[in-house]
Amino acid sequence: MNRSFRTLRERRDKIIEDERTIQLQERVKNIRAYSIKNMDLLIEKVVKNFEKNGVEVILAEKSEDALDALYSIVKDESIIAKSKSNTAGEIGLSEFLEDKGVQVVETDLGDRIVQLDPDSNPSHPIGPASHLRMDDIVKIISNEFNIDIKPEPRAILDIIKQDVLLKLAKCNIGITGANSVAADDGSVITVHNEGNINLVSMLDIHIIIVGIDKLVETIEDAVSVVKLETIFASGKTVPAYMNVISSHSKTADIEKILLDGMYGPRRVVVILLDNGRKQAIKKGGECLLCIGCGSCIVTCPIYNEIGNEFGYKRYLGGRGVVLSSFIDGNQSCFDSGLFTCTLCGLCTNKCPVGIKTNNLIKNLRNDSVDLNIIIDEHKSIKDRIKKKGSPFKQ
Amino acid sequence: MIIYFRGCVVREKLKYISDATETILKRAGIDFTILTNETCCGSILMRTGFKDDAKEVMKDTLKKLEEFITKDDKILVSCAGCYNTLKNDYNELFGVNLDVIHTSELISQLISDGKLLVKKIPNKVTYHDPCHLGRHSSLYEEPREAIMEICTLVEMDRNRENSRCCGAGSGVRSAYPDTALLVAQRRIEDAEDTKAELIVTACSFCILNLQNALKHRMNELSDDTVDVNKSSINKVLDISELILMGLEDEKIGN
Repeated sequence: MNRSFRTLRERRDKIIEDERTIQLQERVKNIRAYSIKNMDLLIEKVVKNFEKNGVEVILAEKSEDALDALYSIVKDESIIAKSKSNTAGEIGLSEFLEDKGVQVVETDLGDRIVQLDPDSNPSHPIGPASHLRMDDIVKIISNEFNIDIKPEPRAILDIIKQDVLLKLAKCNIGITGANSVAADDGSVITVHNEGNINLVSMLDIHIIIVGIDKLVETIEDAVSVVKLETIFASGKTVPAYMNVISSHSKTADIEKILLDGMYGPRRVVVILLDNGRKQAIKKGGECLLCIGCGSCIVTCPIYNEIGNEFGYKRYLGGRGVVLSSFIDGNQSCFDSGLFTCTLCGLCTNKCPVGIKTNNLIKNLRNDSVDLNIIIDEHKSIKDRIKKKGSPFKQ
Repeated sequence: MIIYFRGCVVREKLKYISDATETILKRAGIDFTILTNETCCGSILMRTGFKDDAKEVMKDTLKKLEEFITKDDKILVSCAGCYNTLKNDYNELFGVNLDVIHTSELISQLISDGKLLVKKIPNKVTYHDPCHLGRHSSLYEEPREAIMEICTLVEMDRNRENSRCCGAGSGVRSAYPDTALLVAQRRIEDAEDTKAELIVTACSFCILNLQNALKHRMNELSDDTVDVNKSSINKVLDISELILMGLEDEKIGN
């Protein structure tokens, strides 16, 4: 992982000093700040505009609401396809569907590898298999397909691609996340490099699961957000694909009679998830400014050593720890690594939208101690300081 | 006058840093007093969630300091944590502007004012920016200026605001010693890439953690695994110790 992250850091460090990047950064900061301040208005607008465009929209307050809504659509399927989504990870979508007997096919290469490995979880928002070395991957693939495979990236890609395509042919429903959602236009933007979302979003029904924090005002704003995300996540100015989805597939070429589902889906359903985000906004909402680039974890000294055990589900590192407090409460926040952070501030230093994650963590530690969710050794140190003015035993 | 607030780590674990600092102050003819009854600056409590206890301890420490200092006094600290806390957190919490100076700042001033004469030493050193001094207090150049007066400074790739944390701070070393050690070992590797012989820093807590990592690293490395492209860092020093090496007729502490 250190090697992958070092390459990424070196590539990224040049481009983020570019004047145009700095201007974009300022623009996106304002866009995100506006969204957090005007969340209720944006939700109201996006519901109206999705419906106007023919996109079905479901507001889900909690994980269970999202899962129920989703299940009502997929319940008759035996297999569905999926692209990478932090929000799906947040609600435990794959585990839920597998439990119900619906097989989930991850289509992102890194995610698919991780899915086939019983021992690992994604380690970077756009490079989920960053923690695995070639040899590990070869072992995972050999075990799954019961074949000998060369430790060569193309060979690994080919075998995964072939298998995923076979499975995709059996799927009627594709589930994706969204990188940004434009409320005024009723549009969703997804970003990808592999082209997998093109395939997943063309199935008969396309379900998009997304947190309300991804809302912005316009498509132009949404493009700015995903462009900045791409720059900070990958060191490139654009990804291979930015898909803008504003409707299901349709045609009226025969006597102006409207037909749904030409090449693409006949239904597009957006599930907008709250799950503690409105609560987060009440407390300032700073952690929701996040555009999901993962810059903070690439630079984090702790994450670089212990990986995704520092963070909450697919929300990795310190910012994930902060978000977990709103989604899942203080105990979960503690378990995610609230006290694993040195408050060094590198994440804050490298955040394109200026989230002061180290401060947020410091404040959450106060809440945690108030609830007596503490590290025993810290309590002993506190007692020694108060008793004899020194943290040390002797 | 200079009031020297040593901090708990120097006071109890790394006494040679206060010895070195005192020697330097005496050599430069500086009038100073050691705050003998110093209490905790409160940093560790503030950063491990004990905000009420922190405030209580900090108020007590502030009271002691205010009883002791007059308006022309400066509070000298060796520890970057004490620096950030006394200078920034006390200001934020109690609205006081304590005149805090870090040893690296003072030494740099004394050398440039000609009050402290140092001779060049042949060593090549790299400087580790403590988070509390660097990112949290924007004090990057003074330690470097002092180092460059006495020997060759080579920068690590990750320096100044990009400096990798040593891994000890905010209760991580006490709660997760293994993780703190891993991070510090990585920082030692950063330093080795520069081919320097010494790591110099300006935080007693960083020193504790980096020294521990260096000890582990030396135990790990046997002769046949030494990478010829990398130097072997052989010591982690406080800036005061480095300066001491350049004072004639002084024996090196440590």
